Amino acid sequence: MVILFYIAAIVAILAALGVVLQKTPVYSALLLIVVLCSLAVIYLLLGAEFIAFIQVIVYAGAIMVLFVLVIMLLNARRETPGQGSRMARWLGGPLLVVFLAEIVLAAWRQFPGAASPPPLNAGPAAIGQLLFRSYVLPFEVTSILILVAILGAVVLAKKS
Amino acid sequence: MTPVQALDFIRVLPEIVLASCAILVMVAEPFVSARHTAALAWVSLIGIVAAGAGNAWMRRFSGPAFGGSIAADPFASYFVYLLLLAAALTLLGSVRYLETNQVHHGEFYALLLLGTTGACLMVAATELIMIFIGLEISSISTYILAGFRRADKRSNEACLKYFLLGSFATAFLLYGIAFIYGLTGTTNLVQLSEKLSAPGARPPLLWIALILAFVGLGFKVSTVPFHIWTPDVYQGAPAPVTAFLSVAPKAAAFAVILRVFLGGLASAGALVFWLLWISALLTMCLGNLAALWQTNIKRLLAYSAIAHAGYVLVGMAAAKAAGPEAGEGIASVLFYLAAYALMNVAAFILVAHLAGAGERYQEADDCTGLAYQRPGVAACLTLLLVSLSGFPATAGFFAKFYVFRAAIHAHLIGLTLVAVLNSVVAVYYYLRVVVAMYMREGNPRASASPLPWPLGAALALSLVGIFYLGLFPTPFVRLANLAASPLP
Amino acid sequence: MAFLRHIWLIPLLPALGALTQLLAGRRLSNRAVSIVSVGLPGLAFLWALGCFAELLKLAAPTYLTNLYTWLPAGPFRLANGSLAQLNVPVGFQLDPLSAVMLLIVTGVGFVIHVYSIGYMGHEGGYYRFFGYMNLFLFSMLILVLADNYLMMFAGWEGVGLCSYFLIGFYFQRKSAADAGKKAFIVNRIGDAGFLLGVMLITVTFGTLNFQQITEAARSGQFALGNGTLTAICVLLFVGATGKSAQIPLYVWLPDAMEGPTPVSALIHAATMVTAGVYMVARSNALFVLAPKAMLLVAAIGAATALWAASIGLVQNDIKRVLAYSTVSQLGYMFLACGVGAFAAGIFHVMTHAFFKALLFLGAGSVIHALGGEQDMRKMGGLRRKIPITFATFVVGTLAISGIPGFAGFFSKDEILWQAFSSPYGHRLLWFIGWATAGLTAFYMFRLLFMTFAGESRVDAEVAHHLHESPWTMLGPLVVLAVLSVVGGYINWPTERFGHFLEPVFESPFRAAGVQLYGRNDELGLMVLSVAVALAGLGYAWLIYVKRPGLRERLAEPPGILHQILLNKYYVDELYDALFVNRAKNLGNLLAAFDLAVVDGGVNAAGWLTRTSGDLSRFWDKWVIDGLVNVLGFGIKVLSYPVRVIQTGVVQTYAFFIALGVAIFLGYYLVHFRP
Repeated sequence: MVILFYIAAIVAILAALGVVLQKTPVYSALLLIVVLCSLAVIYLLLGAEFIAFIQVIVYAGAIMVLFVLVIMLLNARRETPGQGSRMARWLGGPLLVVFLAEIVLAAWRQFPGAASPPPLNAGPAAIGQLLFRSYVLPFEVTSILILVAILGAVVLAKKS
Repeated sequence: MTPVQALDFIRVLPEIVLASCAILVMVAEPFVSARHTAALAWVSLIGIVAAGAGNAWMRRFSGPAFGGSIAADPFASYFVYLLLLAAALTLLGSVRYLETNQVHHGEFYALLLLGTTGACLMVAATELIMIFIGLEISSISTYILAGFRRADKRSNEACLKYFLLGSFATAFLLYGIAFIYGLTGTTNLVQLSEKLSAPGARPPLLWIALILAFVGLGFKVSTVPFHIWTPDVYQGAPAPVTAFLSVAPKAAAFAVILRVFLGGLASAGALVFWLLWISALLTMCLGNLAALWQTNIKRLLAYSAIAHAGYVLVGMAAAKAAGPEAGEGIASVLFYLAAYALMNVAAFILVAHLAGAGERYQEADDCTGLAYQRPGVAACLTLLLVSLSGFPATAGFFAKFYVFRAAIHAHLIGLTLVAVLNSVVAVYYYLRVVVAMYMREGNPRASASPLPWPLGAALALSLVGIFYLGLFPTPFVRLANLAASPLP
Repeated sequence: MAFLRHIWLIPLLPALGALTQLLAGRRLSNRAVSIVSVGLPGLAFLWALGCFAELLKLAAPTYLTNLYTWLPAGPFRLANGSLAQLNVPVGFQLDPLSAVMLLIVTGVGFVIHVYSIGYMGHEGGYYRFFGYMNLFLFSMLILVLADNYLMMFAGWEGVGLCSYFLIGFYFQRKSAADAGKKAFIVNRIGDAGFLLGVMLITVTFGTLNFQQITEAARSGQFALGNGTLTAICVLLFVGATGKSAQIPLYVWLPDAMEGPTPVSALIHAATMVTAGVYMVARSNALFVLAPKAMLLVAAIGAATALWAASIGLVQNDIKRVLAYSTVSQLGYMFLACGVGAFAAGIFHVMTHAFFKALLFLGAGSVIHALGGEQDMRKMGGLRRKIPITFATFVVGTLAISGIPGFAGFFSKDEILWQAFSSPYGHRLLWFIGWATAGLTAFYMFRLLFMTFAGESRVDAEVAHHLHESPWTMLGPLVVLAVLSVVGGYINWPTERFGHFLEPVFESPFRAAGVQLYGRNDELGLMVLSVAVALAGLGYAWLIYVKRPGLRERLAEPPGILHQILLNKYYVDELYDALFVNRAKNLGNLLAAFDLAVVDGGVNAAGWLTRTSGDLSRFWDKWVIDGLVNVLGFGIKVLSYPVRVIQTGVVQTYAFFIALGVAIFLGYYLVHFRP
C-alpha cells in the first residue's frame, strides 16, 4: 500500500512538473491525464472508489479529450519562449523550494510522528447524501458559476 | 440533517432574485436590438431593487439555511444592502458609458448582476465551500467585465492579468481550505470554531492554512503585498467596472475576513492579529505613498483604494485586539465600508464620464479648468475627493474617525499614529485633481458634455449619502452596531 | 431668547451665500452676487449682536445648545481603565470667549465683505471670490461656536481649505499657486498635531466637550504638570503654530499675501490666524495644569514676535511688512497666553483684528490707487492724493505702534505688564516684548513715511491714474479706524473686558504667585513702552523724512565694527570737538554726536536686520525648502521599490504574490514557535 502510494505520488508530481515545463501544448495535456490518473490511484488507496472512477471518467476521459481537441483545433504549436520576467525565472524556483519547505516544516511540527488517515466513507450513497443534503446549496450554486463562465466565453468570443 | 424546506429558500431570497433577473436579462438579450440595450439596464435595476426589497422582507426569517451553509443574519443583510447599492450605482453610471463606448452587449448587465449574486453569497456564507463558490462567481464575472472593451488593448490586458493573478491567488485560498478540512474534518465555520476552541487542538499546520486562505481574500481586498494587480487592472478596466470592482468584491471579501478571522477563529488570536496588523500597516503606507506621484486619475484612485483597504484593516486589527469588546472595531469597519462604497463608486463612474469616448482623458491635467466649463461636475468630483480624503462633515471623515478611535481604544497607538499621518499625507494627492480643475487655466480636454441623467441621479444619491453619513451618522452607526452583533 | 435659540442661523447664513455663489453664481450679475454674499454675513452679524445682548442678560453667561448627536460612540474604556460614554453632538457654545470671537468674525468679516465689493469689482471670478469668502465665514463660525474639539477641528480644516483656495485665487500667477501649496503643506503639519492632541484628549477625558473637559481639569483629578496633559497641550500648540504662523511654521503667512488683499485682511490678519490663539485660550484649563507647555507657548510667542518684527524692518513690499507684522503680533498673543494672561491675549486678538484689518484694507486702497503696485520704493507722497486712506492709515499705524490713546496701546501694554508680573512671566519675556514694541513702531512708521510722505516716486504713468478709492472701500476704512481708536476703552479705565471673560479663564490652579509688583510698577513699565514706541517712531522719522540720505547707508555692506574702525572710534572727532576747537562751534560736537550715535545706531540696525534677514532666508531656503525637498526625495526613494515592483509583467506580479506568501509563512513559523 505504502509503496504504491509513493509510486503514484511521485508519478503525479513528476507529470505535473512536466505539464508546466513542456513547451508543446499537446504534451502538456497528455501529461495532465497522467497526473489525473495517478491521483485516481491515490483515491483508490484511500478507499474512495467512486471518486477515483469519476476522476478517470470525467476528467481524464471527457474533459481532457475536449482539451486535446481544442488544442488541435487551434493548431497550437510549440511555445516560443517570451521575454517574461527574469526575476520570476531565476528566483521562482528557489521560492518554490522555500514555500514547500515551509509547508513541510509546519506539517512536521503538527505531526511529528507518522499520521494515519481517518477511515473514509466515500461510497456513492455517502457522497449523494453530502451533495444533496449538507452541501446542497454550494452544489446548486455551482450551476451559476458555470453559467457565468459560459456567458463570459460567449461575450469574449462574440463578434462585435 | 433535515431536508430542504421553503424557509431555506426564503433565506437566500436576494440571491435568487438577482440570479433570476440575470438569467432573464441574458435570455432577453438576443431579442433586444443593439440600440435598446439600455432597456435591459432598467430591468436589471428593477431586479436589484426587488432583491433589496427581498432582503428587507427576509429580516423576519433570519437564521441559518441549507444545513448551515449560509446564514440570514443582520450582518449578511447589511452587506447585501451595501453590495446592491454598489451594483445599482454602477449600473446607473454605466448606461450611458456603454453607449458612448459603443459597447452594445446586454450581457454586461447580466454579468454585473451575477457578480453581485456571487458577492451576496460570500457575505452570507457560513461555510468555506460556499464562500469559495461565491468568490469564484463574483471573480469570474469581474474578470470578464474587466475585458469588456474588447477593442482596447488596455482593457484586454487588465482582463488577462486579473484572470491569471486572480486564479493564482484563489488557488492559495483553496489550498488553505483543503488543509483546514483535512485537519478538522469540517468546513462549517461554527463547527470549526467549536473544534478549535476544544482543548488539545494542535495548530501549526492549521495556522499555515489560515495564512493561505488569507492570501486569497487579501488579493480581493488588495492588501499589500497581494495588491500588486490593482493599479494595472483598475486603470485598464472600463471605469464603471472599476467602480464595481473596487467596492463589491472588496466589501464581500472583507465580510468574509470578518466572519472567518474574527468570528470563527477566536483561538487564533495572536496570529490573526499579527496578520491584520502588518497588512494594515503595509497597505496604508504603500497605497498612500504610491498614490502621491500618480497623475492618472484612475491609477491614483486605485492606489487610494489600496490605502482605504489599509484603514479598514486598522479597524479589523482593533477589533481583534479588543478581545471581547470587538463590537466597536467591527462596527467601525462596517461603517467605513459603507462610506467607502458611496465615495468610490461615485468617483469612478464620474471619472468614466470625464474620460470621454474610449477613455482617452484620464490624466489629472485633462481636467484643467473644468471648474469653469462645468462647475457642477467639478464641484461633484471635488466633494467626492474631499470625502475620500476624510474631510470633516463628510462620510469619509467620520469613517476614519470611527476606525481610528476604535484603534486607540484597543491601544494600538502606533498603528493609529501611522494611520493619522497617512491620512494627512493623502489629502495632498486628492487635492491635486481639485487644483487642476479650479486653479489652472485652460480648456479641459476631459469631456465637458453635460451629465447624463442616470449618472446624475447616481451622483446625487451618493452625495446625499455622503453628507448624510457625515452629518447624521447616528442612525447608521446604530445599524452598523446591529450588523456587527452576530459576530462575537 | 429668540436669538440664542436659533444661534445655528449665524453659521448657516454665510453657508447659504456660499452655496448660492458656487452653484448659481456664474449666472448672477455682480450686483446680485454682492447683495447675497454681503447681505447674508451682514444679517449674521446682526443676529450675533442679538445673541450677545441676550447673553449679557443671562445669569450665568454661557449658552449651550445641541442640535443633534453627531458622533455617538457608545461605551468604551479610557486610558485609566474607567468606562466612558462618548457622544459628540453638533452643539454650539456661546460664552464670553466665543461671543467676543463671534462678534469679531461677523463684524470685521462683514466690513471686509463690503470693502471687497469695491476692491474686487473689476476682477474676474467675482462670484467665486465671494463664494469662497462666505464659505470661509461659515467654517470660521463653526470653529468659534463649536462646543467640542471635533467640531472645532471641522471648522479648522474648513478655514484651512478656504484659505488655500483664496491664496491661490489668482491662479494664473505661479507664485500664487506655490504660495497656496506652501500654506497647505505647512498647515498639514500643524493639523496632524492638533488631531493627535484631540485623540489624546478622547482617551484621557472620554469626552470632547469643552465644558466637561474644563470641569474635569479643574476638579483636581490631574496633578499640576501631569505628563499626559503636557503632551496634549504641546500637541494642540503644534496645531496652533501652524494655523497662527508661529516659529517654526510661520513661513507660509508672508507668502500667503499672494491672495487678494481683502483675503489678507480677513483671513490672514483678523480672523483665521487667530484661531490658534482662540484654541489655546479655549483649552486654558488644560494649559494652566501644564506649566512646561505654558513656558513653551510664551517662549515661542516672544521669539516669534521679535524675529518677525526684525524681518519686517527691511521689507519693501507693503503687504509683506504687514504680514511680518501680523506674525509678530500673533507672537504677542501667544506670549500673553503663555504667561497665563488669556484675557489679555484675546483682548489683543480683538484690537489687532481692528487695526490690522484697517492697515491691510488701507494698503489695499493704496495698491488699488496705484493700479497694483506693492513696492514701497515706488510710492511716496501719497498723502495729498488719497487723503482719506492716509488719515485712516495713520490711525492704524498709531494703534499698532502702541501710542497711548489708541486701541493697540491698551492691549499690548496689558500683555507686557502680564509678561513682567505674572507668576508665569519672566523679565526676559517682558524685555523681548518691549524691544519688539520699539521695532514695531519703527517699521510701521517706516511704512507710513515711505508710502505717504516725502517726494512721490510713483511711475509717471501710474501717477496719471492716481485716484482715491470708492466709498464702498473707504467706508469700511473709516469704520475700522473708529474701532481702532475706541476699541481699547472697552478695558480702560475699568477692566470691563477682563471681567467679562473671567468666567472662562478663572481656575483654581492658577499659580498663586506673590504679588511682587504694584500699580506703580505698571505705570513705570507703561512709560518705558511708550518711550520705546516713540523712539521707534522718531527713528523712522529721522531716517525716512528728516534725513533720507541715511537710508542708503542701511543697504551698504560694511558692518558696525568696520564702520567704527574706519572712523577710529570717532575719538578724533570727539577730541576735536571737545578740546581743539571748542570755541569754534557747538555744532561740531552735535555733528560728532550725530555721527557717532546716530550712524552707529543706523549701522547697528542695518546689521541686525541684515543678519536676521539672512537667518530667516537661511531658514526658509535650507530648512523649510530643504524639508520639502527631503520629503520629496524621501518619497521618491521610498517609492522606488514600488515602482520596481510595478513592472506590468504578470509573471513578476505572480512572483511577488508568492514571495509575500512565503514571507508571511516564514515569519509565522519563526515567530509563533510552539
